Amino acid sequence: MAGKSGRQQWHGGVRTLAGDVWARLKRDRTALACLVVIVVYCLMASWGEWVYWSARVQDVVPIYQVQDFGHRYEPPSGAHWLGTDALGRDVFHRTIQGARIAFRVGIITSLLALPIAMVLGGAAGYFGGRLDECVVWLYSTVASIPSLLLILVIASVVGHGLIGVYLGIGLTTWVGLCRLLRAEFLKHRQLQYVEAARSLGAGHARIIIRHILPNLFHLVIINFSLRFGNAVGTEVILSFLGVGAEGEPSWGIMISDARLRLWQGVWWELAASIGATFFIVLAFNVFGDALRDAMDPRLRMVEGS
Amino acid sequence: MTRWPRIPVAKFLLSSLLAFVFGECFSLHAFTLARPDPETRSDRVLLGSTKRLRSLDPIGSGDIASAMITGLIYEGLLRYGYLDRPYRLEPQLAEAMPEVDATGTRMTFRLRPGIYFADDRCFPSGSGREVTAADFRYSILRLADPRSSTTGFWVIRGRLRGLEAFRKRVEEVGDRAYEEPVEGIQALDDYTLEFLLTEPYPQFLWVLTMHYLHVVPREAVEFYGGDFQRYPVGTGPYRLVEWKRNYRIELERNPKWAQTGRREVYPEEGQSDDVRAGLLAEAGASLPFADRIIRYVVQDESTAWLMFLAGGLDLTLPTTDQFEGVSVMGGLSSALEARGVVLDKVPALQTIYIGFGMDDPVVGGNKKLRQALSSALDRSKLIELRAGQEIEAVNPIPPGIPGNTTRPNPYGYDLDRARRLLAEAGYPEGISERTGSRLELTLDFASQGQPEMRQRADLMVGMMRSIGVRLTPRFQLEPTFFERIDRRESQMFYILWSADYPDGENFLQLFFGPNSSPGPNHTNYASDAFDRLFEQARRMPDGAERTELYERLAGMVQEDCPWILVTHPLIYQLRHGWLENYKPHDFPYGNEVYYKVEPARRERMRKAFRKQPLGLRPSTLSVNGGE
Repeated sequence: MAGKSGRQQWHGGVRTLAGDVWARLKRDRTALACLVVIVVYCLMASWGEWVYWSARVQDVVPIYQVQDFGHRYEPPSGAHWLGTDALGRDVFHRTIQGARIAFRVGIITSLLALPIAMVLGGAAGYFGGRLDECVVWLYSTVASIPSLLLILVIASVVGHGLIGVYLGIGLTTWVGLCRLLRAEFLKHRQLQYVEAARSLGAGHARIIIRHILPNLFHLVIINFSLRFGNAVGTEVILSFLGVGAEGEPSWGIMISDARLRLWQGVWWELAASIGATFFIVLAFNVFGDALRDAMDPRLRMVEGS
Repeated sequence: MTRWPRIPVAKFLLSSLLAFVFGECFSLHAFTLARPDPETRSDRVLLGSTKRLRSLDPIGSGDIASAMITGLIYEGLLRYGYLDRPYRLEPQLAEAMPEVDATGTRMTFRLRPGIYFADDRCFPSGSGREVTAADFRYSILRLADPRSSTTGFWVIRGRLRGLEAFRKRVEEVGDRAYEEPVEGIQALDDYTLEFLLTEPYPQFLWVLTMHYLHVVPREAVEFYGGDFQRYPVGTGPYRLVEWKRNYRIELERNPKWAQTGRREVYPEEGQSDDVRAGLLAEAGASLPFADRIIRYVVQDESTAWLMFLAGGLDLTLPTTDQFEGVSVMGGLSSALEARGVVLDKVPALQTIYIGFGMDDPVVGGNKKLRQALSSALDRSKLIELRAGQEIEAVNPIPPGIPGNTTRPNPYGYDLDRARRLLAEAGYPEGISERTGSRLELTLDFASQGQPEMRQRADLMVGMMRSIGVRLTPRFQLEPTFFERIDRRESQMFYILWSADYPDGENFLQLFFGPNSSPGPNHTNYASDAFDRLFEQARRMPDGAERTELYERLAGMVQEDCPWILVTHPLIYQLRHGWLENYKPHDFPYGNEVYYKVEPARRERMRKAFRKQPLGLRPSTLSVNGGE
């Protein structure tokens, strides 16, 4: 992806950027463990999608919605690995569905926020002038509104359900990356390789997309990894407050349901949902940090020289 | 030098903090007041909690918390008999029940002589004067005054003759309008008050018990102006001592009663249960019993709950989950019983129902479909989810009100019938015969983020799914919920109706055509046969004949299914054993006058708490509460 980077030559051109990053990551055991966790969650989410869609296509009640009123609040057992909830539904399957919803939120909000940040940040930094002023004004304004409040407003305007969550998180969390990319573009547009490209007659679009962006793409990847965890956490909070998922077992909804009986010792639903949230958020954060270390060109230069 | 063992300090502090917090939560005896409370030692005082009060002006607010207090300070013409069930009216400041003429539109009240307002600096001499019929006229006209910001005008709107003209005159000439004659309400002499109704409205007598129509002195309203809501001056058994808005309100016995020789007595007759419950031990004794009443403003339910468990409140309404934490099989746990706590289960005059938007193209015109959905709803599971704190509704009129028939709901839970009706409605197995796709319905809730309601919704989704219907719950905040209903956009909505007064008319009017949205007929049910019969019934005085009409009307509703009848809530109320003469009431405003507490007994029982820990540990509790 960044194969065009001029900096590749510092390493003698033996390893690609991806191979280089992987070599560094391999040395970090914690990061690897986190990667494994993320992969496991990915599999859970995929399985969740499969369960969800197959039930929809076959027009049957999905397994995580099957109620068994005779077996309410049953502790974990062979039949129900994580016990059952207030309506006798299987907590394990609901936790899997929670992973599905978390991944949907993480991916869809990123698909919204990252392009906004890249387009606005890149254009503002590269072209400067009036456009830059407008973009800076826009993200300063968005950043000055408390984000959870803004998300709640968007979610309640759009209406309930996950659409509101997607839009709410997606439209408010692009500011950090946008600011970062703008600054980088400001710097890079004056560097020699850009000058060179320009003197060879390359247009703006080509310079931005083929030359500068590949040099900055590691920032986008790192940001994706870090914001994924945050988006999941925000979705859980929103669903807990009742403006998120509806009729689907988000972890936030499970936490909200479970607190009713926690004081009577019904711990499994709460433990499952909080544990699931905790590990995925932690994994993405730690992995994101490790990725930052592995991808930072300056660090690579120091090590490689 | 001693070497201290190396304990990670943060970990140690954290774990001790957690141990302390959880230890405290699960052994609530730690909250028991360690020493006698100076507020309760000396005299007879009632302790309770209240939500934040809005206003102490009788017409100032419609919230229950305020009405509970104003009901002690102000009085009206009529009140509920304390022990009478079904509810019955008795005179309060009237000498007797009114004379009603043959047309049913003229009501004449004789007032009791010798009723005085409490002493207050608003009176020229500082001494409260006698109440006259003109005071009632003034108070009720004040409710109709367009300049007042009352929420209660609806109770008399369109009922008394000449009110609209009065309102117009107020706009023109201001206060002078009060001096001009108003046809609908006239003070014939000092002790005679006459109402002229626009049409026969026997329920007006219930309305007269409401705090909106209680008597206030004009001097106080004019003297205090906007501050009148903070300086109440009434005729009631208590007067305000101190009101700290977000902390505490204290009332004391109104000394005017003793000065003027006014004597009220505890009822001498009750029902057979009352004798057994010891409610007639004080029959004929002078009221009120308590010297002071203290209400703490507690917004948080769990705080009120802990205060009650510690003996700091005489009674409380626990939430479902709080109650389940101390209950065994729907009754009281032995730990609470040992403390002398008493549980009252009272059917509330409320009906929970799922309304169908009768203008909706899918459910509105399809009676069989509505009947099928009603038959698919397993009320017993909903009740089990609420740990038995509700009873099944078979009738829109709750038990305890004439018109509540014992005739079973013809569309109660029966899956076979539900499937059959669904097929007859054009949706065999839930698949539309016309389009071939599954029937999808939306059910609106006025709730957001409340797990109890969400579980209830999920349960209903499962029930409808069992006959092949896909139900989608939609949660929204209350204003949006009602806006959608008023705009007739709601397909199905889950809602509760709470009686304004104990008369079947109050429930049956929810199906009356002219009351359609934005009126209280939220479903916009329209039936000429129903409307005709209702018109006839609502003008009739209470009696067997009217009850029979009510039952017929309720039967029409059962058959047409504009509602899925769900449940009637039960109110679970806990009180400490030292609170005597307590009888649950749906309209308990001012009932503290009957309650009695012996301070010595309370102190003795509270001291014993320390030897009776509640032991709220998870292992000792039944997880499924009511099961």
